[in-house]
Amino acid sequence: MIDSIINSTLLLAVPIVLAALGGAIHRRAGVVNIGLEGQMLVGAFAGIISSAATGSWVVGVLVGGAAGAVAGLIMSLVITRLAANEIIVGLGFNILVLGVVGFILRSNYGVSGTLRFPEQPRIPKLTIPGVSDVPVLGAVLSGKDVLFWLAVALVPLLAWVFSNTRWGIRTRATGANDFATASLGVRTLAVRDVAGSLAGLLAGLGGVALALGVSGLFNENMIAGRGFVALAAFYFGRSRPLPTALACLLFSFFDALQIRMQTNSVFPTELIQTLPYVAVVAVLAWTGYTTLRRRSRVAV
Amino acid sequence: MTEQQTPDTGAHTSYVPTPVRRGFSWSAAGESAWRIAVPVVIALLVGAVALLFGGANPLEIYGMLAQEAFGDAARLNATLTAATPLLFTGLAAAIAFRGGVFNVGVEGSFGFAGLAAAVVGVNVGGLSPVLAVTACLLAGMIAGVLVALIPALLRTWLGVDEVVSTLMFNFIVTGVTAWLVQSFFLAPGQANSATEYVAPAAELPALAPPGQLNAGFVIAVVLIVFYGFWIKRTKLGFEFDAVGKAPRFSLAQGLRVRTVLMSAMLISGAIGGLGGAVHTLGVVHRFSVGFSASFGFTGIAIALLARFNPVGVIIGAVAFGALAAAGATVQLFVNIPIQLISILQGTVMLLAVAQFAVPRLLKRRRAEKNTEVAA
Repeated sequence: MIDSIINSTLLLAVPIVLAALGGAIHRRAGVVNIGLEGQMLVGAFAGIISSAATGSWVVGVLVGGAAGAVAGLIMSLVITRLAANEIIVGLGFNILVLGVVGFILRSNYGVSGTLRFPEQPRIPKLTIPGVSDVPVLGAVLSGKDVLFWLAVALVPLLAWVFSNTRWGIRTRATGANDFATASLGVRTLAVRDVAGSLAGLLAGLGGVALALGVSGLFNENMIAGRGFVALAAFYFGRSRPLPTALACLLFSFFDALQIRMQTNSVFPTELIQTLPYVAVVAVLAWTGYTTLRRRSRVAV
Repeated sequence: MTEQQTPDTGAHTSYVPTPVRRGFSWSAAGESAWRIAVPVVIALLVGAVALLFGGANPLEIYGMLAQEAFGDAARLNATLTAATPLLFTGLAAAIAFRGGVFNVGVEGSFGFAGLAAAVVGVNVGGLSPVLAVTACLLAGMIAGVLVALIPALLRTWLGVDEVVSTLMFNFIVTGVTAWLVQSFFLAPGQANSATEYVAPAAELPALAPPGQLNAGFVIAVVLIVFYGFWIKRTKLGFEFDAVGKAPRFSLAQGLRVRTVLMSAMLISGAIGGLGGAVHTLGVVHRFSVGFSASFGFTGIAIALLARFNPVGVIIGAVAFGALAAAGATVQLFVNIPIQLISILQGTVMLLAVAQFAVPRLLKRRRAEKNTEVAA
């Protein structure tokens, strides 16, 4: 019971953690990425098609990530170079992606909604000998795929990169004050485009994790709001890698718990699904309250 | 002294009062036509690429769409029916944006109000039609305001960015309405999650009986005309305009910034809610999961394209309504995925706020030319 909940929590967390870390990078550069949902869908779609065509899951992961990055770049270019509002662009981008993917599904594959290939390669799970039989530890460490370990590695890596590299500091500076940063000679628009592409790349990989790791098929509604849960997570974690990842774990724990409890539903599923969003509103309110208090204390 | 905190709407411009223009300005009209034309043309091109990709002739399909949308009275009726919810959501978004708050939660207000109107509508069978409809519309407006209330309070008193909080409320409303329907208002003997149909007394009367166009359309148009006068001719309307354009300047001038922000959010929620109620009473007659076909988000695209102008909102809503109505019927006899509509709509929305770029590029080029001349 515990093992299986831990297992499915971690399995469900991978796509969200990847997308949320991408969103956190973009947020650090000063852009709220509403398009994560669409970028995940692009990644999942490209991943499924390319891996089924070549028979290799590695190709699926690479192509899915690349497709997500291109999608992220396009969205970022509209925001940075055409000076458009990021929220509207993100909302429009999601609708557009859903339309394009749905159109291709129907006109080129002749299916409505679900695309399933008979010889679909999946991302192999790495079983760690010796650990896999240990009760809790086995569920945590063993039977995970490459993208899981990528997500795990990215959390400390990103934290380090943000505080110790030139790129990380320029990205954060751009997010903190783009006018001041630009005046020091940093090309802030380019910094934001790179951050947007990285966000797309990670969201695309998140989509691949969902398609090739969790389900093994493609459905146009398979992202099912996970991009917005990722958004909630990086808001919850204030765009810092570790808290963001922990927020994802918390949300996917509720998700896993709710799948378990569906039979004896004490807590209604629909309400549990709104928890990430309620959490974001609570965090926003709390942040607003503390900033206001700090400001008035300074004034006194 | 309690000072009002500075609302940060990202506007760094100072408000320059322009002299009141009498009469019609051709240059302003040309400019807004250009603003609208660019994203629409690009969207049509993107759609054409998709159609060619799918092996269809884009011109033929677009011609067919226009024919299906405006060809005869029955088709026009369907188009205007599809435009009705968009008139409400477009107006709701326009009012909020005009007052400087970026309410993306109209979708949530619309859905929650749809449920509220359906629940009230089921239980008012004994009342006279006028009373029954009024009660339902009122319930819808209250529900719409409730959805906007928390983000509005957070925005006004704690300075919390309303974009994300209202976006989150859309998802919260989706979950809460699904739960409410599932646990309290489920119609007996129904497999899918839907409420019972509203009482006949609570249905909005149809304007041209075989068609579905109903009195809600009239309500929407009246509201939009009223909005047009209100924004130009009243004190609060002026304050909306000023706060939306230059919040810091307005604060310094002693305008009621908090009142504007609060009322912009709540009025926007109320109108979105009214739209949801009208959609329940006029068209679907009940609330079911998936009640709103992203009307709230389409309304945002319309409001932005129209630059909050009342006439623009009407044109935009009819255009998107035509797309939705014609797309649904064209799909029946041509093998064109209905997703074409999402492609068009998504592209328009993606580029709706990007149009500043074109004048900016021109300006830069002009500046470059001037320096060349000077050199």
